Amino acid sequence: MIPPLYDAVSQCNRCGYCLQACPTYVLTGREAFSGRGRNQIFRMMLEGRLPDPRQAQEALSSCLLCGACTSVCFAHVPTAAFVLEGRRRISGQRGSLWVRWLFYLLEERNRTFRWFLRGAYFLKRLGLSRLLSRLGVFRVLGWKAIEKAEEHIGEVPLQFLSEILPACSMHPESDSDGAGCAPRYYFAACGSNYLYPSVGLATWRLLRPGEGVLRYASHGCCGLLEHHYGRLDRAQELAKSNIQFFEGRAALVADCSSCAAYLKSYPQLLGQEPDWAARAQDFSSRVKDVLEILPLEERARSSRLGDRRRERVTYHDSCRARHGQGIWKRPRELLQGLPGVEFVELTEPEWCCGGAGTYAFVEPELSEEILRRKMENVRKTAARWILTSSTSCIMQLRWGCRRWYPEGKVLHLVEFLSGYAAGAGMLGDSAARQAR
Amino acid sequence: MAENLLELKRCFPENRLLLGPVDLLTYGYDSALDRALPEAVVLAESAQEVREVVRFCLRHNLPYVARGAGTNLSGGCIPSRGGVVLSTAKMARILEIEPSKRYAVVEPGAVNLHLQKALEPYGFYYAPDPASFRVCTLGGNVAENAGGPRCLKYGVTSQHVLGLEAVLPDGEIYRLNREDSGPDLTGLLVGSEGTLGVVTKIWLQILERPACVRTMLAGFSGVDSAIQSVSRVIASGIVPRTLEAMDQLTVRAVEEFSPAGYPVEAAAVLLVEVDGTEEETLQEAEKIERICRAQGAFHFVLAQTEEECERLWEGRRGAYAAMARLAPNVLVEDGVVPRNRLPEVLARVQEIAARYRIRVGLLFHAGDGNLHPNIIFDERNAEETQRVKLAGYEILKACVELGGSISGEHGIGSDKREAMRWLFSSATLNVFRRVKETFDPRNLANPDKILPLPDGKASGVSRPHGEAAERLFQGLREAASQGRRVSIRGFGSRLPSTPSPEAPSVPAPFAELRAPAGEPEAPSVLETRSLDRVLDWDRENYTVRVEAGISVASLREILAAENYFTALAGAGSLGGLIATKAVPEIRDQILGMRVALGTGEILELGGKVVKNVAGYDLAKIFYGSWGWYGLILEVILKLYPRPISVAPAKNQVPFSPHLWHRRLKAALDPAGIFSLPR
Repeated sequence: MIPPLYDAVSQCNRCGYCLQACPTYVLTGREAFSGRGRNQIFRMMLEGRLPDPRQAQEALSSCLLCGACTSVCFAHVPTAAFVLEGRRRISGQRGSLWVRWLFYLLEERNRTFRWFLRGAYFLKRLGLSRLLSRLGVFRVLGWKAIEKAEEHIGEVPLQFLSEILPACSMHPESDSDGAGCAPRYYFAACGSNYLYPSVGLATWRLLRPGEGVLRYASHGCCGLLEHHYGRLDRAQELAKSNIQFFEGRAALVADCSSCAAYLKSYPQLLGQEPDWAARAQDFSSRVKDVLEILPLEERARSSRLGDRRRERVTYHDSCRARHGQGIWKRPRELLQGLPGVEFVELTEPEWCCGGAGTYAFVEPELSEEILRRKMENVRKTAARWILTSSTSCIMQLRWGCRRWYPEGKVLHLVEFLSGYAAGAGMLGDSAARQAR
Repeated sequence: MAENLLELKRCFPENRLLLGPVDLLTYGYDSALDRALPEAVVLAESAQEVREVVRFCLRHNLPYVARGAGTNLSGGCIPSRGGVVLSTAKMARILEIEPSKRYAVVEPGAVNLHLQKALEPYGFYYAPDPASFRVCTLGGNVAENAGGPRCLKYGVTSQHVLGLEAVLPDGEIYRLNREDSGPDLTGLLVGSEGTLGVVTKIWLQILERPACVRTMLAGFSGVDSAIQSVSRVIASGIVPRTLEAMDQLTVRAVEEFSPAGYPVEAAAVLLVEVDGTEEETLQEAEKIERICRAQGAFHFVLAQTEEECERLWEGRRGAYAAMARLAPNVLVEDGVVPRNRLPEVLARVQEIAARYRIRVGLLFHAGDGNLHPNIIFDERNAEETQRVKLAGYEILKACVELGGSISGEHGIGSDKREAMRWLFSSATLNVFRRVKETFDPRNLANPDKILPLPDGKASGVSRPHGEAAERLFQGLREAASQGRRVSIRGFGSRLPSTPSPEAPSVPAPFAELRAPAGEPEAPSVLETRSLDRVLDWDRENYTVRVEAGISVASLREILAAENYFTALAGAGSLGGLIATKAVPEIRDQILGMRVALGTGEILELGGKVVKNVAGYDLAKIFYGSWGWYGLILEVILKLYPRPISVAPAKNQVPFSPHLWHRRLKAALDPAGIFSLPR
């Protein structure tokens, strides 16, 4: 049973142990920008002690939702959930008409959405979007976030993942690969699908030694973005449709930790709906972040790389992997066990990169400060490869590398491992190009 | 206020001067239950900016409260009267680390953990480790005189603060060093909870990391046998680095949430840690095991690996966490008693808990006699909250009755102001008030903290004098009534033989107080040699209360005959040793003091407990006072089962009082009865 919000927020006893975990507090020194501060603000909202709830806007919208505060909290007070609920109460549906229209396309008119993206990507490839940005067109239109996004997104794919992967239809009764091993379904996160298909392909290669072990069936969005923009109803609808779609025995794998963590949080999302709570629980228990199931030992052995080269590698924890799912040891163990790989631990590996979905676009100043600190730590490792597990982190870290650390290459962990398994080629120039 | 704020707006950018309603609300709480609303919050970045704010507040008669991380457990950083909150969050730099000279310099907003981390590469560490060390600021630690498990061996914050830079309430920046000659103002500011000024820079003593640390856990079927073991360990000459205890309820709560391998059937467990060389620690660990087993410990583990050690500590650290999960609020009470009274106070706590129908998990720094009953409740339930508060008060009362104090390390803040009356006499509280007025005549620096309102009556008892003390006190009163000056003399061993040219006469403002013009008459001498008795030698608790005129040599002899030791050296009287700063080591061995003032008041400071942060640490200003503030009648000293190394006593010359020394003189000895020796 999920405790009602007021009980949940009252569980914060203001001990303040979360302060130094919160990037926005550490950078600004403002109590309202800390986990404890946001808990108290939300509590005051519920108690009707804020003269005008809109006054809480700044404190709530500056939250990265990284969950670092909850990780260090003794009572595991879920600050991010309060922030989302607070945002929803203040502005109902957050985001401009323009954002809502994009969501509509993404979910309801996916073909149109893809054509639209392709158009945007075309502009990007030709360098026209850059030109528009320079000319200040986006700013004139009030699209500051688009301007930021244009700047951050380094490269765009020619083909979306969903168009590359062979789609199958769902047949729960055929959920067996013949060898008694239940197949898994690949859940294509939006990031892997529309921005970084190479991540999805790497997952595909790594987890699919034989036919039928990993399958892909065209499915809907996980609902994370909707939820973050305050559209709880819509997020719940998406969750239900995913639960229905994957009902049965099928296990799911997602390779974007944000997406995986969100799929795992469906029980909280639907906890108040008696008809759905158990089904959500069942669904979530079948979701795996790709980090949890990487079959690594064999990869290491089959590698032809051996000890010939030492590739210096560091690892940035995606907040949704570390704080959202508690996954942080395994990726390190994997990397430390690879011959030819020198793993260097990052200072403050759990410090958010500032990407945080669309945070980088809507809170550019704070995001940049957060990223700068991250990149400073990355630089100190002198690592060539910066590995992570969320597509939002990839985008943000690549942007950071372009600005402050051009010698660094950012990859999803699966991309690195897939290339590693394939031999030295991955670590050569083609990979470097891929990780631009 | 609104029009005045324009002035601040000119000095501070928008992101460092917070005026929005939500921002203000978030600076109105700390970790305790009190709430208030400031009118502005300033995130200062330098001492100059702090001074600007203090001056602004002086100009407009606005109160100000310095705030670090706000992890305070006693309401100490609540802006009770509104005004300005001065946050040190942006003054978080570690300015200097000087391993060869064993000190570090930090800004007040620097986080305790960050200093620890910065010291690691040098092989050093900073001893005080309050539970909130991951987030609490060193400025906050100074304000509260914070402790922590390691303080058993290494002492509380006050022992580690070498010097301070502070903006005092007159709006000026001062630098204070505890080695400066004269009364120790550094020691007075530590633990003053921001009521005497705002610290802007801190010089801290740092220590070399021990070669080896060993951690062990013992489980007992009775609380008494656990406490007995604690006493035996201390008496055996071992000074453990930490000596922590937890009761059954706490152990069970911990094991339920995150098993750390604690024995759930134990009535009490002890977590002991020793440090030193490989060999020493092993021997000590074996000795501790023997002692615990002899007292009936049925469970004893010595951690063999770093992981095992970490796991044992997880259990201790998890104690608060486990309680925090059980209910929305945890009141972490903070009382302290002489170590050997722990079993009694624990029984009292259980009785109080049953009477008030509250759930209490007991967690204590057993070595220090410092107990933290963790009481869980839900502040939204007003009736329950009231019961919890009352129970907390009763626990504190029990501590006072058993010869202890109302705070070992959390401070008084606004929560325990009333409890100050149970601990101190009216006279002592009045002197505290005069000290506060001296520093802050307009009562703007963190008002309404520490001191109870002057109306009610204090119940703190003043013990009767001994015969010799009574005679001296009479003499003092007589001199006072006749307007005669006095100077104090023990054995005369440290008095300058010829009037030294630097030795100052009584400063001008006080000279005027004395009527006779022309040749000032020589002060009459108060001989303290008759104050030579050992009053209360608590062998089990390792404390001794003695009269201050006792000869240092004979005190050493008396103590050493039974294998008790303290920081004594040289000749002359104990009072003289303290008043002349002849042996710096003694500063931190003084647990309590009884002082006769020229006003006829008797000050009763501290007690038989090794940790005590209730009220101003006034004993510090008699240390180095050369008899200028008052007559030290009695001293309570901390004892050890082993000799401690002390440098030979140095002969100092009387100090030349600076501005603040003189201001304090007006508070403690307004008629100027006491004169410096010539």
